This record gives sequence, C-alpha cells and structure tokens, in this order.
Amino acid sequence: MPRIKVDHTKCTGCRHCEIACSLNHVANTANPRRARIRVMKDKNRYYPVLSGPFVDAACTSKQFIEIDGHQYDMCAFCRASCPEKPFFIEAETGIPLKCDFCGIPPAPSCVRWCNTGALELVED
Amino acid sequence: MNGWFGRCLRVNLTEGKHSIEELKPELLEKYLGGRGLGVKVYTDEVPPGTDPLSPGNKLIFSSGPLVGTGAVTGASCNVVTKSALSGTIACAKMRGHFGAEMKYAGFDMIIVEGRAEAPVILSIMDDRIKLSPAIEYWGRSTSESEDRFKASLDNQWAARETFLVTIGPAGERLLPIANIVSDRFLSVGGAGIGAVMGSKNLKAIAVKGQHSLEVADGNRFVQVVNTMINKLNSAPLNSQSMTQWGTAFLVGLCFPKKILPNNNFQHASVSLKQLGTDALESAFALRSRGCFACPVACIKKTEMKHHVYEGKGMVPTYLAIGSLGLNCGITSLSTIGTASMLCAEMGLDPVAAGGTLATAMELVEKKATTTDELKMDLQFGHDDGFLEALQLISTKKGYATRLGVGGKALAETFGRPDLFMGVKGMSMAPFDPRALQGMGLHFATCNYGPHHLYGYTFIDELLNVNEKLDPWSTDGKPALTKLYQDTTAVMDSLGLCNWLLMGLKFKNFVPLVNSCLGTNHTADDLLSIGERVWNAERLFNMKAGFDGTHDVLPRRFTEEPLSDGNGGGKISRVSEMLPEYYSLRGWSEQGEPTPGTLRALGLEDS
Repeated sequence: MPRIKVDHTKCTGCRHCEIACSLNHVANTANPRRARIRVMKDKNRYYPVLSGPFVDAACTSKQFIEIDGHQYDMCAFCRASCPEKPFFIEAETGIPLKCDFCGIPPAPSCVRWCNTGALELVED
Repeated sequence: MNGWFGRCLRVNLTEGKHSIEELKPELLEKYLGGRGLGVKVYTDEVPPGTDPLSPGNKLIFSSGPLVGTGAVTGASCNVVTKSALSGTIACAKMRGHFGAEMKYAGFDMIIVEGRAEAPVILSIMDDRIKLSPAIEYWGRSTSESEDRFKASLDNQWAARETFLVTIGPAGERLLPIANIVSDRFLSVGGAGIGAVMGSKNLKAIAVKGQHSLEVADGNRFVQVVNTMINKLNSAPLNSQSMTQWGTAFLVGLCFPKKILPNNNFQHASVSLKQLGTDALESAFALRSRGCFACPVACIKKTEMKHHVYEGKGMVPTYLAIGSLGLNCGITSLSTIGTASMLCAEMGLDPVAAGGTLATAMELVEKKATTTDELKMDLQFGHDDGFLEALQLISTKKGYATRLGVGGKALAETFGRPDLFMGVKGMSMAPFDPRALQGMGLHFATCNYGPHHLYGYTFIDELLNVNEKLDPWSTDGKPALTKLYQDTTAVMDSLGLCNWLLMGLKFKNFVPLVNSCLGTNHTADDLLSIGERVWNAERLFNMKAGFDGTHDVLPRRFTEEPLSDGNGGGKISRVSEMLPEYYSLRGWSEQGEPTPGTLRALGLEDS
C-alpha cells in the first residue's frame, strides 16, 4: 500500500505543498487555509503535517519530546484537528478536512510539487 | 479577480485611520502589480521633490499578481518609496513569506502615509486592522521584536502563521543605510528604505489572512508549474549550485574572472581558499530554507558560534561575502557570517554598510583620516575593528554618527569623494565593473543605484546560460543590459524571483502568467511592460534631479586599470556604451526619454 513519507529534515518551509493541495481540491483556488496539508514550524524546524482525524475535544495526552537538548511541542506535528489546534477546518463552511490521497497517480499533488524530497511516496 | 484581489489598504499614520480602496483594473493590466503598480501609484501620488524622511513621503508594499498563487517562486513583494540614501525612487524586493501572506490577508498593496506621533505596529490579522503602540519594541533588534510580537498574541497557532516586516535600531535612528528586515533576518534588497519606515514611527507590520486567491485556469496552471519544476531540476545552476550553497556558489565562479572586488575595489581578489564552497560547508552546518513556493530554497540557515553573535543565523550569501567580506579585506567566513547577522539584527543594509566601512578603511589607508580620529580600528583585514564598527553604527553615538550617513557623505567629510565606490549615492554591489562590462553599464544607468538585483547581466556574461559573451568585451552589452533590466522589472511586477533566470529562459514564464491571470500576453508584451516600468522610474528620477550626468561610474573604474591577473590593464568602458544604450532605449543623447518613446509606452501623461 502506498503511503506518504515525511522527512522533516528536508523540508524548507516553502509551503508549495499547501498550495498544490488547495488548487487540487478547490477549483482554481489557492489558499493554504483550505489545504489538507500544512507546514508547521517549531523551534526553527518545519514539519509538513497531513490532516488526520477530526476530534471535537482536546486530548489529555499533550506531550513534549526532547531531541538534541531542544523541547518540541507534540501538538506541532500531531495530525489531528482539535479545539486546541483548529487547523484543517474549512473557514467558510466549518467542515473538517482530511487528506484523501489525491492527485494523478502515482503521486498525490503535494508530493509532486515537493522538490526537496521532504514528501515522498513509498510502498510498504 | 484572477491573481489579484484588486484591493489596496491605505493607512494614514498621522490620523491613525485606514481605508480600503479598489485598484483600477486598467492599471493592473498596464502595470501588472508589484513593482510596476507600486511605481505607478507612488509617482502619481508623491511629488518628486519630497524629502524622503518627511511625513509627505509614502511607503508602498506591493505584491505581484502571481504571489501566493503557487506559481514557482511567486513570493516577492516590492517596497516602493523614495530612498533616503540616494534620493532616487527605491523599489526594493522582499523575499520570504510576507508578500504571500499579504495576499491572503486580501490586499495587493499596502500604502503607508503620514507619521505616527509615537511608535506603532500595524497588524492586519484576519481582517482586523489595528495600530497598536510599539513603545516596548522600540530600540529592540529585528528578531527580538518579532519574537515579542508573536509572544504577545493570545493564540500560539495564529502566531505561527503570522509574518512580519520590521526595522531595527538603525531604521529607528533614521540612518540612510538602514533597511527593512522580513521574516526575522532576510534583508529587503536595497538600502535607504529602513529610515523611511523609521521616520513614520512604524516599527513593524504583521500580517495573517485566510482569503482565497483565484487563478484563471487551474488545471493548466498546475501542469505549467509541474513542467517548470521539472525544467528547473534539469538546470544545474538552480537545482544543484543554488540549492546546495545559495548564491555563495558565485564566489568560486567570480574569482577566476577577477570580478570579486577587494579592499574597496582597489584590486581583484587574490585568495579564494578560505571562501569557496568547500570552506562554506566546513564553516557552517547548512540547512535550506525556502521563500514561499520556491523549489530552489537558496536561503541557508545555520547555528552561529562567534564571540560577538551566537544563535540562529544565516549563512553568508554572495552579497555578504563580497560586500562585508572581501571588499573590507575580511577573509574569515565566521566573521562575515557574524557581520551579516549583525546587519540583519540592527536593520542595516549589507551592501551599504559594507561599502561605507570599506570607504572608511580606504580613507585611513590613504591617510585622509586616522584610526585615532575615527576612534575605531578601521583598517582592511582587521576583523575585530570591523565588527565593532558594525555594532556601533546603529547606536548613532559619538564617533559612530559619521559612519551611519553612508559612504558618499563620509568620503566628502574627509575631502576625498573619489574614494566612495558607488553611483547616485548608493554603494556598489560586489561585482567589479571593469571585469563585467555589461554590469558596469547597468550599474551606471540603474534607476536605483548600482545593484545587481535589477539587471542580471552576469547570467550571460559570466555564467553563459543563454549566450556565450565575453565579459571583457563591450559587444552587444547595451542590448544585453536593456534586456535584463526590462526582464527584471517585469518579473518584479509579477512577483517572481529573478534568480530562476539562471535555469529558465524568460519565455518559460509566459504560460505561467497567462494560465494564472487569464491573459494572452506574449513574451514581448510582458517585456514592454517592463520597459514601461523602467521608463516610469527614470522619469521620476529626472524630476527628482537626476539626469544623464549621474549615469557615471566612480573614476576608479574608468581610469585605474585592473592591476593583476589576466584582466591586466582593463578599465570599464561605460562612456563608449552609453550612446548605444540611450538609443536602444529611445532616449535622447542626454539620457532623457523622448516624447515618441513615452507615447509608444503609454506614458505620455506622466
């Protein structure tokens, strides 16, 4: 089954994937807030986050991860959309968005426009 | 509207009021947006004789129609005003994410006019436009201001999506060599605009928005972008050199051709060992950061470890290595990196600051002044004195006041105006005009001082991408200079990055423009828009007191031959090329656009 692999060390934070997603899902429209992938930033690093499940309550398991002496906020790369982190919700309609693995096979639109290799389609 | 919003935000700081205006569709068609539209609105509204630092001057932030649509490298926002350093029109280009976020906030253009009584920050957050007091930000460095502003927001997620432009202490103190800084440490390309923002008591602008941008033909647009990404990947200069080292890769190419200036353009550089790409990689751990929608990502970030500056930093670019390094006799990459970070933190322009210090160093060397008189150890190759001076400039205290006024005024103070290397009061970008004749002509004629970002002639002269031209010869250079000046003007107006021209010919951008905007332009149509913008800027400069007599290079380049290497005996032959350049542009022998030219370009009423 093909999956999208995210390598955050290669992400340059250019947000081209957000626009690719938006243009592909909403006809002729470029708007990162309507994309199902968002590039999050935490401590000088960028994380492309694909939208996952929508939950209507904030979780109780907020955690911090320590890598190389830096504390990273788990919320920055959590895929869920919750009241604490209201991403992946259509501003106009309030409908939650979820990645549907779109695009012309074999690559979803975000992977096609990611030029650095941060997003990659892999078989497993 | 496709690509554009057609809306403009006008903020009057004197009254503390703002209004939203419609942009006229015929103007959008004629000037596209970005630099072109900014220049049009600015020249219509501001009299040419305005003092740059008076409340009557305006500061225009203008994003192009392709910005934020996902067009490859569509990120550039232009800042148009009258430069406090040169007195010419300034159309500095801003990289990063601010331009795109400004579009999502629903504005193609932000016009700032008047002067606030006390320091303010303008924030445009999801349609809430607000001027808030910025007294606690005043005097703080650019990165500190940005962090404080983001920390002051209630919602941490909103903070992550907010982008700022700020001025540093240099801009607040109205130094003519000050600059605006976007996205924490990206200098906006060009000096003299930080002081204008400072004179308006405007510390920063913050934007965040969620409006949708429309493109005319989405399917075709996506296909065109796919093709362009593939083409870019097969262009080694963009996909390998720029992606790996940023613009610093030019250092190794410019060195053997004697283009890198040394010690205030006295001679071409003699040593490269410490500054090549290998040295860059061993000096810093490089991490790529991209401007909005850029597949190249030429910005390189790193962790700086120097006793003067420690923390997040940016790896020096070609510009920094040339202006803040070799031209001041500095060859240590860690010093150059620190200097470029000091410039970003203080809001100084690297070219202008480096040029000023190089002038001061040569004044000392030529015994026009002494280090005791300057109270600073300014000598070629003295790293510590150089860094100390950079830190002191923006404090505007005591002896440092003399340096903050820019190289030209400094050289005049000590009676040696011939030691200032610049045109129209602006310091020269680190390309020796004796070794690149086309660049020399561009430096002499550029509307905004001698800056390579307004005419990329080195793409053909040095890198031989489209044509193989001899850098020493003057053959075909006037046409080349005109071509690149017009191309740059139209790319800026569209909001695209010009560095892509190293890998893609201009005609590749035409389908991108047409599928996005729903127009039927040809490459020639677009270039004629570029020519219109260039002439409009020239007209403004002429009314502001600049004419053909200002299209000259400093005497050093036309009288002192390059002394060393294979370029021995070469001088810049600008005066031979000027008549042909003027006639190609349709200008008179004195460099004035003729009525016929203006009519053909649709500029007769300005």
